[in-house]
Amino acid sequence: MQELLQYLFSGVTSGAIYAVIALGFTMLYNATELINFAQGELVMLGALTLVSLWAGLQLPLPAAFVLAVAAVCGVGLLLELLALRNVRKPHPILLVLITVGASIFLRGVAMVIWGKDAHGVPPFSDHPPLEVGGATLLPQSLWILGIVLLIVLSLQFFYKRTLTGKAMQATAINRRGAWLLGIPAERMVLLAFAISAAMGAVGGVIIAPITMCSYDMGTLLGLKGFCAAMLGGLGSSWGAVLGGLLLGVLEALGVGFISSSLKDAIAFLLLLLILYVRPSGIFGSGAVHRF
Amino acid sequence: MKLLNPSRLLHATFALAILLTGTVLSNPYDLQLLTFIGIYTLLALGLNMLMGYAGQISLGHAAFYGLGAYTSGVLTVHWGWSPWAALPAALALTALVAFLVGLPTLKLSGYYLGMGTLGFGIIVHVLFREWSSLTGGASGMVGIPPLEAGGIVLSGGRGYFFLVWLVVMGAFVACERIVGSRVGRALRAIHDGEHAAAAMGVDTSRLKVSVFVLSAVFAALAGFLYAHLVSFVSPESFGFMVSIKVVAMVVIGGMATIWGALLGASLLTLLPEWLHVFSDYEMIIYGLILMVVMIFLPRGLTRGLLDIYERAKRSSGTSSASSES
Amino acid sequence: MSAPNDLPERLPPLLKVESVSKSFGGIQALYEVSFQVEPGAIHAVIGPNGAGKTTLFNCITGAYVPSGGRILLDGEAIQGRPVHKLVERGIARTFQNVALFESMTVLENVLVGQHVRTRCGFLGAVFQWPGVRREEREARESAMELLRFTGLEDRARLRSGDLPLGWQRFLEIARALAARPRLLLLDEPAAGLNGAETEQLADLMERIRQRDVTLLLVEHDMSLTMEVSDRILVLDQGKKLAEGTPREIQSDEAVMAAYLGTE
Repeated sequence: MQELLQYLFSGVTSGAIYAVIALGFTMLYNATELINFAQGELVMLGALTLVSLWAGLQLPLPAAFVLAVAAVCGVGLLLELLALRNVRKPHPILLVLITVGASIFLRGVAMVIWGKDAHGVPPFSDHPPLEVGGATLLPQSLWILGIVLLIVLSLQFFYKRTLTGKAMQATAINRRGAWLLGIPAERMVLLAFAISAAMGAVGGVIIAPITMCSYDMGTLLGLKGFCAAMLGGLGSSWGAVLGGLLLGVLEALGVGFISSSLKDAIAFLLLLLILYVRPSGIFGSGAVHRF
Repeated sequence: MKLLNPSRLLHATFALAILLTGTVLSNPYDLQLLTFIGIYTLLALGLNMLMGYAGQISLGHAAFYGLGAYTSGVLTVHWGWSPWAALPAALALTALVAFLVGLPTLKLSGYYLGMGTLGFGIIVHVLFREWSSLTGGASGMVGIPPLEAGGIVLSGGRGYFFLVWLVVMGAFVACERIVGSRVGRALRAIHDGEHAAAAMGVDTSRLKVSVFVLSAVFAALAGFLYAHLVSFVSPESFGFMVSIKVVAMVVIGGMATIWGALLGASLLTLLPEWLHVFSDYEMIIYGLILMVVMIFLPRGLTRGLLDIYERAKRSSGTSSASSES
Repeated sequence: MSAPNDLPERLPPLLKVESVSKSFGGIQALYEVSFQVEPGAIHAVIGPNGAGKTTLFNCITGAYVPSGGRILLDGEAIQGRPVHKLVERGIARTFQNVALFESMTVLENVLVGQHVRTRCGFLGAVFQWPGVRREEREARESAMELLRFTGLEDRARLRSGDLPLGWQRFLEIARALAARPRLLLLDEPAAGLNGAETEQLADLMERIRQRDVTLLLVEHDMSLTMEVSDRILVLDQGKKLAEGTPREIQSDEAVMAAYLGTE
């Protein structure tokens, strides 16, 4: 029983990470119909930037957190401004290859800056691990869950209560109609990139203490985040969250009861299964659901 | 005029160039390098049919490359088959896998296909790494026997060079014929407008799966040739970056030109040789290639340069007739 | 120009649309539309913007599955069948916003149109059996014939994406004809054409009818529609508003009311 609880804890923790990455995918997809293959690399950059700022430069944690997120936001904006905006005929294959190229580029840059070694950072708070029902719960897990919850609630507030949020929803549903109403589509797209990059960055920052941070951590995380988004139904924010948690738990159970070396394969088998059986995911993406 | 048409001339010249190079070159390192270019050309050619002509994407093609190599490896090393018997088995198995994977994923749009193939590539890579009893695990599989033809053992060097390039030339001819035929037109139609193609009676799902399987078979053939050349395979050679490398070759060479595959394969095999710091900056370079080419010269170097040439010709007053098949 | 009274009586309709409805989420694009098209006729569908004309086309060609009702081609139900299968049964179409294969030449576009009338596959292409070569030669000959039929034979080798709109529309028609359809659907074939081109189009449509192809067209150009059509169906907001000969439609008050203020 306590084994199960243990798996559940670790599953929910990683699930929260997948959720926040999935939200990044979903939000961008909603605003632009684009899937950013470089999303995972933005997570990686968030983590490694935190390493440099906090462990390296010894900046206080809150400052390092904010700066890291801001920096990665900037990278996301650059991607849209320099690479994607100028594509004349946006055939999906072109956009896929551009974002794939960006992801490889960012990995290469990260390898040059941070080398091939793994880096680590201490957890956000000094508490010893907690004992819950015989299983161990890391304090970092609580940080992760707390921050992700905060993000989810903020997003809901953003969409439902702020004018900008509603404007972004409008642009996603009908770009021309929104434009006719005076909503600047291009700026909405930039905002969407910024927010989705920020979410990726946050994912990286909060997972940094409990994982090995290296230049190649982004690929798998990005793919799993995408898998989570698909699981919940691309286009649905609640779906992203649910998908993330579900994926995390399934993965943890798989590792626990089947084999740990096949951990990565689980997510992808799930992805292929979703694509095969029900590409619209749990909440379906027929209509564009948001919070 | 049939005998002297430009296509035949090109093929003949190319065959001559291969013959000369193979006879004149004596440095085994150079010969092997050029042989690798041939193997990669085969990979790029297959992927080009999928990406350039049918307009679909595969980010996990190294999986098929690896399947061809490993299947032949396992059959020849563990079960003592003759490589020539292992070849059709490797091709058939890869074709089957490609069929099963392509069937569901090709029904979806570009992004999903990209992600799906990416995920598939990773699963296969994990498989190569973890199924140690069969594949030798992370340390790979040694002792893959060389190929024999009529009593002569082809273990690298001149013989293998000619074998690989013979296969490549055959592949060129096959691809050219496919492109200029009913099927090729249907593929290009899918690329230009899938709905319109369906409205003209093209069974788009079936054709997309077919060309996916075709490109996988090319990759498996390349894998087979690779395995029996170096007699050793490991999961490293079939990872994500290899898939990307092949995509970059197709992209840079020109997505809807057959000779572009040769250009792309040559460039990206020779570049690491000439730039010794390449390995450190490899990812940055591939990433930049993909981004820059896709943004500025989406039809690749070959077609991009041709476009610039044609535009220049047009603006100087000549007629605007294009010269496609 | 047309001679509707030459049609034999009691010929079963080629196309029968029975109470077809189509809704998208909450929006009802078509509501229980019924009509039939006689073989050899030129039948037009008109209506203000948003009336559901293209939706109707898409239901007939298989691009959409109707939410209700049936569509019968020669008595056989075809609603919901895959698009490419319907081409084999004899339905071809052109598109409102010209959907040519722009990177391919004029001739190649028409050759694609013949896809269902030819058979060569991958193996045939690679090995070039004699039958394959003959098929390719014959296909090119009939494609050229269609280009002559539509006046495009001199432009066979041009890149289709480079053609001016008028010629593109004619090419689309040639391409659709290549499938040897019994029923040809033209979606706003005159949009963007000048007066002379429209006249050529009218002439072409009559010549198509003489080849035993039944025409169903959506058009906004009223004079062209009145000139060539045998029967006209008027849609408004997804419902059938009126149906009859051009003269009947022109004097129909409900039709005029639907159009007033819209055009």
